[in-house]
Amino acid sequence: MRELWRRLQWWAHRDQFDRELEEEMRYHLALKAEERGLNAAHRQFGNMTLLKEDCRAMWTWRFWEQLGQDLRYALRMMTANKLFTAMAAISLALGIGANTAIYSFMDAIMLRALPVRHPEQLAIVNWRSKGQAEVAHDFSGSSYAADGVTTSGNFPYPAYELLREHNRVFSSLFAFEGAGRLNLVIDGQAQLAEAEYVSGSYFDGLGVNPAAGRLIGPEDDRTGAVPVVAVTYSFWQAQMGGSPNAVGKSILINGRPFTIVGVAAPKFSGLNPESPARIFIPVHEITVVDLDYFHDMAGRFSDGHSYWIRMMGRLAPGIRLTQAEAELNGIFAPWVRSTAENEKERASLPNLFLEEGGSGLDSLRREYSKPLYILMTMVGLILVIACANIANLLLSRAERRRREMAVRLSLGAGRLRIVRQLLTESVLLSLCGGLLGVLVAALGIRSLTLLLSNGNPDFTLGAELDWRVLGFAVLVALATGTLFGLAPAIQATKVDLTPALKETRASHPRSRRRFGVPFGLSHLLVVSQIAISLLLVAAAGLFIRTLANLNDVNLGFNREKVLLFNLNAAAVGYNSSAIKRLYADLQERFRSIPGVRDATLSHMPMVANWTSATGIIVPGIPAPADGLSTAVTLVGPRFFETMQIPILLGRPIDERDRQGAQMTAVVNEVFAKKFFPGVSPVERHFGFDTKEPQDVEIVGVAKTARYNSLKKEIPPVAYMSYLQAGKPRPVQWMYFELRTAGDPLALANTVRRIVHEMAPQVPVADVTTQSRVIDETITNERTFADLCTCFGVLALAMACLGLYGTMAYAVSRRTGEIGIRMALGAERRRVVWMVMRDVLVMGSIGLAIGLSAAWEATAFLKSFLFGVKPNDPLTMAGAVAILVACALLAGYGPAARAARIDPMRALRHE
Amino acid sequence: MEVRSEIPPGTLYMLILKTLARLGSMHGYGIAQHIQQSSDDVLQVEEGSLYPALQRMLIKGWVIAEWRQSENNRRARFYKLTPEGRKQLGRELREFERVMAAIGRVIQPA
Repeated sequence: MRELWRRLQWWAHRDQFDRELEEEMRYHLALKAEERGLNAAHRQFGNMTLLKEDCRAMWTWRFWEQLGQDLRYALRMMTANKLFTAMAAISLALGIGANTAIYSFMDAIMLRALPVRHPEQLAIVNWRSKGQAEVAHDFSGSSYAADGVTTSGNFPYPAYELLREHNRVFSSLFAFEGAGRLNLVIDGQAQLAEAEYVSGSYFDGLGVNPAAGRLIGPEDDRTGAVPVVAVTYSFWQAQMGGSPNAVGKSILINGRPFTIVGVAAPKFSGLNPESPARIFIPVHEITVVDLDYFHDMAGRFSDGHSYWIRMMGRLAPGIRLTQAEAELNGIFAPWVRSTAENEKERASLPNLFLEEGGSGLDSLRREYSKPLYILMTMVGLILVIACANIANLLLSRAERRRREMAVRLSLGAGRLRIVRQLLTESVLLSLCGGLLGVLVAALGIRSLTLLLSNGNPDFTLGAELDWRVLGFAVLVALATGTLFGLAPAIQATKVDLTPALKETRASHPRSRRRFGVPFGLSHLLVVSQIAISLLLVAAAGLFIRTLANLNDVNLGFNREKVLLFNLNAAAVGYNSSAIKRLYADLQERFRSIPGVRDATLSHMPMVANWTSATGIIVPGIPAPADGLSTAVTLVGPRFFETMQIPILLGRPIDERDRQGAQMTAVVNEVFAKKFFPGVSPVERHFGFDTKEPQDVEIVGVAKTARYNSLKKEIPPVAYMSYLQAGKPRPVQWMYFELRTAGDPLALANTVRRIVHEMAPQVPVADVTTQSRVIDETITNERTFADLCTCFGVLALAMACLGLYGTMAYAVSRRTGEIGIRMALGAERRRVVWMVMRDVLVMGSIGLAIGLSAAWEATAFLKSFLFGVKPNDPLTMAGAVAILVACALLAGYGPAARAARIDPMRALRHE
Repeated sequence: MEVRSEIPPGTLYMLILKTLARLGSMHGYGIAQHIQQSSDDVLQVEEGSLYPALQRMLIKGWVIAEWRQSENNRRARFYKLTPEGRKQLGRELREFERVMAAIGRVIQPA
């Protein structure tokens, strides 16, 4: 303590200290001189300045004081070289900003944990089976198949009960399942809201607390319980203004009355990040809420063949995931074996396995992880280019500061000290870049969210600038600062003192010569920049061509000026015939809206990634092992006229195809060619492969139109009238398609008014256009094309800057030499060539490296490309041409300057 | 010229403290002279280590400094032991003797 006090006192009187120390030394020197003579005294005493420094250093906190000095000096250097600082900071800002923005998405999608108690203890229960799990007679949920293995998280309810009762590895096992969008009526206002069915132990097991009221408990989750729901915090805020009266409020869900009992803690929105829930309903209420006619909802709770419920568990203390997996399998395996009824089912039994559940379901991660990794790689490369640029700038500046360094070193400055000071400069620079980068990132996140959400207001990835993302930015900035600063700093202090001090421009030592050109670190950096740029430009080219190919896909119908929206009268209790009457009436009303050319409806929009396939029997065609199947689209009258799909044979679906009449279908050309090769399918029949076979007569053949995707092969399609639909395909919702004369979306309010007049409880949902729906299916490709173009241009610009800087510096360093050459009669043309030759050598080495890297690397993009091969020669050639052009352009400036050197001035310059 | 030895590492503080204990109060040059003379010119104190060492001892509070007229009527900075410095000298001497005795045991002929 007293020591600190003494130090502080010293700090207050440090000017006096300097004076006194000086006096003390002089006194010492004087006495010594009396004894030994002046010269000997001075020689022995040594460097008085250094000694004073040492004495000072005793008193100060050396590290901090020097840091302060370094920072002041660095700031002075930065303000003295404004152009340099601005260029470096901006290129770093772009690099760091792009990285931070992409990282925030990675963080949101892949790294963020659920807002629950100890998310790391959670485990999701899944199963996988060889091929289709035949034992699942009835499946609803999500599964995905890869390499002949089917994976899913949906289980039979009895399996859940069994595991819940008998396992000793989970402190809690609870069930849930997405409910999709349900029709909600609050205070007479109808809307759709994403919901999740949850078991009674769900909130308790997750450790989610109520923000108001109480959450759903075991007493709510049984048949005959009072119907209650819990809502999310954001729903509470948005729909009820966070009012405490919300608890106890009565709302209608799919026409059934429910009471809100509470609000979940902020930020919690269920377990599926892909479709965040807004309300939570006890699982057993599914029997009254779900209006699915396909399944026997009440029977589901006891049916061992109906796979639909998901499970999550909290591991008991000390239990590892693998232990829990073994125990659960020990219970599940015998049970599922007992449900198998034949050999086929026994051969493909589901095998239970666990996954970490701390981040919820992983469907989003599956969808976005690969694109994100690719984007992350790209922005990483951009950062490398930016760093190379700054390293280059610093290198050339270090060259210019050789004299300064030599003077400082010869005056006794330690090398480490100088390296440290140079590093302070570069880290300060990179931190400035990082700060600007955060701004760039904020903008980037906004525009990227906009780009990915594609006009979908429900899109809530929740990528934001939080402290983790900011920490990432700072870390990247520090790392780059050290990385690009260290090499130049070390190089700068490797000065041979004597020549450096004597040095003039003309006698400047040349770098080692290799390949006939000076080849130093800075050239290496430029080469790598060119190589990386080529990689990014090539990738951009591939994605642009992919997008162009997708936009050029022949749809087979007219996508322009079609208003699209969804109505679901079934959700508010209309029965099958009332629905059909309502939809038919609405169709007529819509057709009479001024500005509407035609109107129709279909049970799913075209090219929207929806599919609906059914097994069929075609007389005369032997069915293969997995059966014949066709896609089915339920359409209304005037579908082909409205969508402008030409009918090649027969007639379109029209009012004649109604309930009670012969079931009819219009098939596409693929269907006709596959099932009726060489003959006209019109007036021929096929049947649905259902329990009560249904006979369908083909009345027409439509020109092939894209079905669900721009990329996928078009399947056989049978268009059938929704008016004839009953079991097994009852009419619930329908998408209406209105062909308009002007902007389709301008009619949205008219449509809402008409629907409100005719069916006040039915909300108009998913209002969009056919064009937008199609665009949404290629969001990934478009995002890639847009981002990669940005990245490619950015990379090119930075590489050109690097090339320009290096060449400009080389020319300025060789001014004297060039002057002599020209004085001796070298032509200007030759001088230009001398500079351009360097550019070309660096360019071609860079391109060769880049090209071979691209050859390998673009293979990773294969799954994102359409109509173009990863190593498309045209794209590669284009990328090379762009780079060569840019390199020549960047190199020509300095070359022209070299040619303009006036020999007289250059020689006098020394 | 006589052969002069480096001051063994870690003993400079002790030598300065002992000198000040003997002389009462002295300036830097005098301290250096005294150490050199009383060691029969074997130990030579470099100015480069003497002054930083004195500063260090000021920080530690072992010595205090004051400006006084010197013997040749010039202003000089004189250093004087504090009670804390005296205690420190005792500690350093004990430690030094302990180490010397130990070294002696190691190198004495068996």
